Amino acid sequence: MDKANDILIIDDDRDLVHSMRIVLETKPYTIRTAYNGKEGYQRIEEKIPDLVILDVMMATDTEGFDLAYRLRNQERYRDIPILMLTSFTQKMTETGADKFQHIMGEEWPVNKFLEKPIDPDVLLKTVEELLRGE
Amino acid sequence: MNLAKELVAQQIFFRRELSERVGWLVGVRWIAVVTALCSAWVLRLCHFDLPMTTVTGVIAVMTGYNILFAIIVRQLKRISQDRQVPFQICAHAQFISDLTALGALIYLTGGFYSPLTLFVLFPIILACILLDPIYAYIYAGTCVIGIGVLGYLQTTGIITPHSGLFAHGIFHSAHTTRENAMLFIVLATACLMTAYLVTTIKRSLRAKGHTLLLFCKELDAANTKLTALYDMVKQMAFCADYQELMDSATQNTARIMGVKACSIKLLDEQRQTLRFASNYGLSQNYLAKGDIDISKSPINQGILQGAFYTIGNIEAQDYFQYPENVRQEGFSSMICLPLKVEKRVLGVFCVYSQARFNFSDADVDFFALISELTALAMQNLKSELNKSWFLQRAAHQLRSPLNAVDSMLKVLRKAYAGPLNDQQSDMLAQCERRIEGLSLTIQDLLKLGIKRADTAPPELRQISLAPLLAQLSAVYQTQAKQKEVHLAISLESGLPAVLGEEKLLDDLYTNLLSNAIKYTPAGHEVRVTLSREDAQRLCLRITDTGIGIPQDQLSRLFTEFFRAENAKAHTDQGTGLGLTIAKEAMDRLRGTLLIESREGEGTRVTCYFPVAG
Repeated sequence: MDKANDILIIDDDRDLVHSMRIVLETKPYTIRTAYNGKEGYQRIEEKIPDLVILDVMMATDTEGFDLAYRLRNQERYRDIPILMLTSFTQKMTETGADKFQHIMGEEWPVNKFLEKPIDPDVLLKTVEELLRGE
Repeated sequence: MNLAKELVAQQIFFRRELSERVGWLVGVRWIAVVTALCSAWVLRLCHFDLPMTTVTGVIAVMTGYNILFAIIVRQLKRISQDRQVPFQICAHAQFISDLTALGALIYLTGGFYSPLTLFVLFPIILACILLDPIYAYIYAGTCVIGIGVLGYLQTTGIITPHSGLFAHGIFHSAHTTRENAMLFIVLATACLMTAYLVTTIKRSLRAKGHTLLLFCKELDAANTKLTALYDMVKQMAFCADYQELMDSATQNTARIMGVKACSIKLLDEQRQTLRFASNYGLSQNYLAKGDIDISKSPINQGILQGAFYTIGNIEAQDYFQYPENVRQEGFSSMICLPLKVEKRVLGVFCVYSQARFNFSDADVDFFALISELTALAMQNLKSELNKSWFLQRAAHQLRSPLNAVDSMLKVLRKAYAGPLNDQQSDMLAQCERRIEGLSLTIQDLLKLGIKRADTAPPELRQISLAPLLAQLSAVYQTQAKQKEVHLAISLESGLPAVLGEEKLLDDLYTNLLSNAIKYTPAGHEVRVTLSREDAQRLCLRITDTGIGIPQDQLSRLFTEFFRAENAKAHTDQGTGLGLTIAKEAMDRLRGTLLIESREGEGTRVTCYFPVAG
């Protein structure tokens, strides 16, 4: 890889951000971090990252989704791949589909979900796939 | 239309009396025939002078026509139970035949002076009961005339009835015209007074019958309504969200009240507009008018202040913000009530009818009852939802740090933060397992809270308890040792399998055992025994010599989040959910959980498991 891929991690859990940084830095990635949606958006405005890792539920239940939608609705940011971290994908698929539909519109504004707790091997594999554009 | 139906139904009800009695008359006549025949022979044996041949002839004729009537009545009953005319004709035919036969017998037993003349009262009484009063009077009048004519003809000597029987009888001495006239007046009065009295009494009885019938029908209607209301409340209790609940309420209310439409409008937070939250039978057009501005709707203002509105004739009132919509919908009367819990008004509940003045006071009262129950169901659902929201929130709060810890442990164990030796790696793997266990418990908690309504039975299979419990106990040996609590476990081997599910058994046992260790001070003992109780049950006992539970708090042990005072004082760790989970697990395992305790002495928990098969 000629240049290091720029990955932005947005999560309010600093410990989790720290451990993800440790894992991802074993590869030639540049890691930037933000601890809430607003800060994350600022980082994106500063420089468009190659990948955003985004926590679904920060200060509010939908802060992650709000940011994802905001990005998807802007030409400039539309194509940034988003990996969404969640502790309730299973619940969403079980019961939440319609509950979240009003936020979602017709499609999920993210490329992939990753369920917490995060397995570092799976994290690396998923990140690689997304960066390759899969 | 309803009234006409009602009248017909009532008439049919009272007509039954005629159709039943017509058959009964035939039966009574058989008794009369037999009695007449016997009497004639007895008189004959007592040497009374009786024209036996003629009397027997009359009785034979009676027998003949009675057979005929028996056949006719049977046919009538088969063809037309509810048509009155054929039965009336049959009754008339019977009365006429009887009076004729009786006339003949009177003639043969002394004519005007025969005591049998009194028997004319019987047909008169029956006519009063079974026929319209006018016919009763006609029969009474005919009898009076008949007796009068007979008396006249007999006293003037134009006819000479057979007088052998009562030659010296009670009536025979009356010879003078004055006395004959007296006799006639007495008999005539008896006939007419009987007709009058019986007819009057019958009329009053029938009026009371009508009233009773009406009461019966009202009771029946009320019973039907209440049963429907009961079903409605039951249905509402199972609703999982507001919309479902309100839709069920409006639909059922319209059905129970027998009206065209029903709606629930809810107040917004600012309490300024009413929004159609649920409706049944209202057109899209009517709903399209949108929210109702309370300041422009005097009727809704009134209702929100607690008033009940019953409008009998909508055309005549000027109550509505959108009167033309109400007219288009074809509504003529309506009831609107506040939907409220205690003093808090949630919205407005209405029923609409196309008929004018469709609602009675009883309807309003009944609708108020429906409204009250609906509001209660809504309130109940709200607290259920709050509880479940709280549990979801709590579970998330618990799970977030766990997920972070778990993620970090994985990073460590997979050596992303530097190499580990085998022992470190094993310990980290053990940590992960424990964290996963805890995470699962939290998930269960969430399930316990949210899916309590889930009534699907667990899939139970045959499980051998002793090995499972031994495995589950391993962790607690370490914990007990750290606390210096002596943990003695004695699991009888070779016991039959029980019907169970591993997760549920885990929930049950680990909660009970960890409680026992937690609330037992150092130096004390926790004893676990598994044995056979009887042919059908295994018994698991967990006995400790710990702090025990105060008597007055025993009954609240299975309440969520409840912790006994001394438990709270003993340690601040504990959610108060452990026993709830254990109890519900036990319920799902179809076993029995008993807790006996004495404060300061210890606790004994007994679980009975049904043996498989």
